[in-house]
Formats: sequence, C-alpha cells, structure tokens
Amino acid sequence: MDIVVTSITFLIPIFLLAFILYIIRAIKGPTISDQVLAIDAMTYDVAAFLVVLSIYLRIPILTATAIVLALWIYALDIYIAKYLEKRELGE
Amino acid sequence: MTEVLIYIGLALIGLGAVSDLIAAIGMNRFKNFYLRLHAATIGTIWGAFVPIIGASLVAIGYEPLGYYRWFVAGAGFVAALLVLILAPAGSHALARATHRARIVRVEPCIADHLDETMCIKGGSE
Amino acid sequence: MIDPQVLVLGIGALAALASVVAVYFAVIERNLVRAVVFSAIQSTLYALLYYILMAPDIVLVYVPVAVGLYPAVILFLISKTEREEKP
Repeated sequence: MDIVVTSITFLIPIFLLAFILYIIRAIKGPTISDQVLAIDAMTYDVAAFLVVLSIYLRIPILTATAIVLALWIYALDIYIAKYLEKRELGE
Repeated sequence: MTEVLIYIGLALIGLGAVSDLIAAIGMNRFKNFYLRLHAATIGTIWGAFVPIIGASLVAIGYEPLGYYRWFVAGAGFVAALLVLILAPAGSHALARATHRARIVRVEPCIADHLDETMCIKGGSE
Repeated sequence: MIDPQVLVLGIGALAALASVVAVYFAVIERNLVRAVVFSAIQSTLYALLYYILMAPDIVLVYVPVAVGLYPAVILFLISKTEREEKP
C-alpha cells in the first residue's frame, strides 16, 4: 500500500473535525468580527486541504484553485473592516 | 532521496492537521474576540502554511503524479507565500477596525493607550 | 483501505449539509451585514463542493465572484441604506 495515500486517509478526519468546529464558531459568533475571523481561518485551512487532496486524488491540475481561494478571502476581510471603520468615523 | 522528502512532507502535513484541530478548539473555547486572534494565528500559520509546504515536498518526491508534480510543487509554494503574507494583514485590519468601531471591549486589560474607556480593569480571569 | 472517490464524496456531502445550515441562517437573519457573512460561509463551502465534483474551472470563476465581488456590492448597497431589516 502506498504510504502517502494511507497517511492522508488517516489525516483527513482531523481536518474535517477542525472545519466543523470552525463552522460552529462562524455561525454562532457573538459579533460580526468573530464570524469573519472564523471564516478567514477556515478558508486558509480549506486552501491547505485542497492542495493535500489533489495529491491524494492524483489529479495535479486541481492545485491551482488554492491560490485563488487564498487570494480572494483576504478581500472579504478588507471589505468588512472598511465597513465597520467607516460606520464609526462618520459618513 | 525522494523517500526522505516524502517522509518530511508527511510529517509536516500531520503537524499542520493537529495544530489545525488545536486552533479550532481554541476558537470555540476562548471568551473574547481579542483572545480568539491567538487561535486564528495558530490556525493560519501552523495550520495552513506548514501543510502546504509539506504537500509541496511530498509532490516533489511522489512519482505517480507524473511530470505534473513540479506544477503541484510550484503552485503550493506560491500559495504558501500568499498565505504567509495575507493572513496576518487581514487579521490585523479586522482587529484594528473592531477596536476603532468600539464593538468589543478589551476584557483582561492592564493598560490600553489607544482608548482608555475600552479597558475593563481586573477582568474575570 | 477506503476508496478515495467514496471518501471524497463523503466530504462533499458534509459540505453540502453545512451550507444548508448557513443558508437557513442567512435567510432568517435580521441584521443585513450578518446575512452577508453567512452568505460568505456558503460561498466557501460551495467552492469546496465544486472542487470535489471535479470542476476546477468553475472554482476559478466562482471564488472571485461569490467571495470577492458579491459581498463588496452588497456591503456598498447596505452602507447606502439602513442596517436592520424592518419586520
């Protein structure tokens, strides 16, 4: 049996448990900042998970999606931060 | 040579998965937004940067991917560099906006020179 | 050992279930900014789902639209109007 496929098979449930805990915090977070922080951390971990999964499935062309995901979730942070700050500083 | 690369990469992926789980537990256990920033730091650097580097090292030494394994390695290194740059910048922007908009007060606080009224002296723990 | 295709489809099923929960909260939420944030959760899970259904080109288009462009337009619109939805 291939050592890479066997090891990643045992590592995938750990990633999934972490994603479920992140989603719980992202849904029930008391303030908007908590939710956005949880989504942010979850999405970077999803990007890491996609790279691992492309090796696991042996389809190398799927790796390019991780770059796009890591680039664009940063935009959500900046939008929410700009919205919160502008509301305080006056129109 | 490739065996060593595969073992190092698998160890890094395992370390990343475990620290990812630790960060998720911490995200649920901490009481405050400013405390949850610590868990987000663990989750982004140790939980995303390290496993991507490990996956790139595995891809370099993993023969069944064929000639495209260099593409996986290069895209992985670029994604890891982007995470390393963008994740702290996003967290910092979010924390600064939250503190300026006075949404969350600083709970276990000793001194807050930015805004004294945000500070709760002698927090619960 | 488990077949990789079956395990990956299980991951897709979990992502679909979680996205249903996020969409439900986005629909019933009164605060519009929180509704946008719930919608962002749904977008991320759909990106994972499209990846698992082996459509990387769809992911490359869906992520900039649903994570980047759509919250920007909606937040710009909310900043022009009120933040709370009237019953």
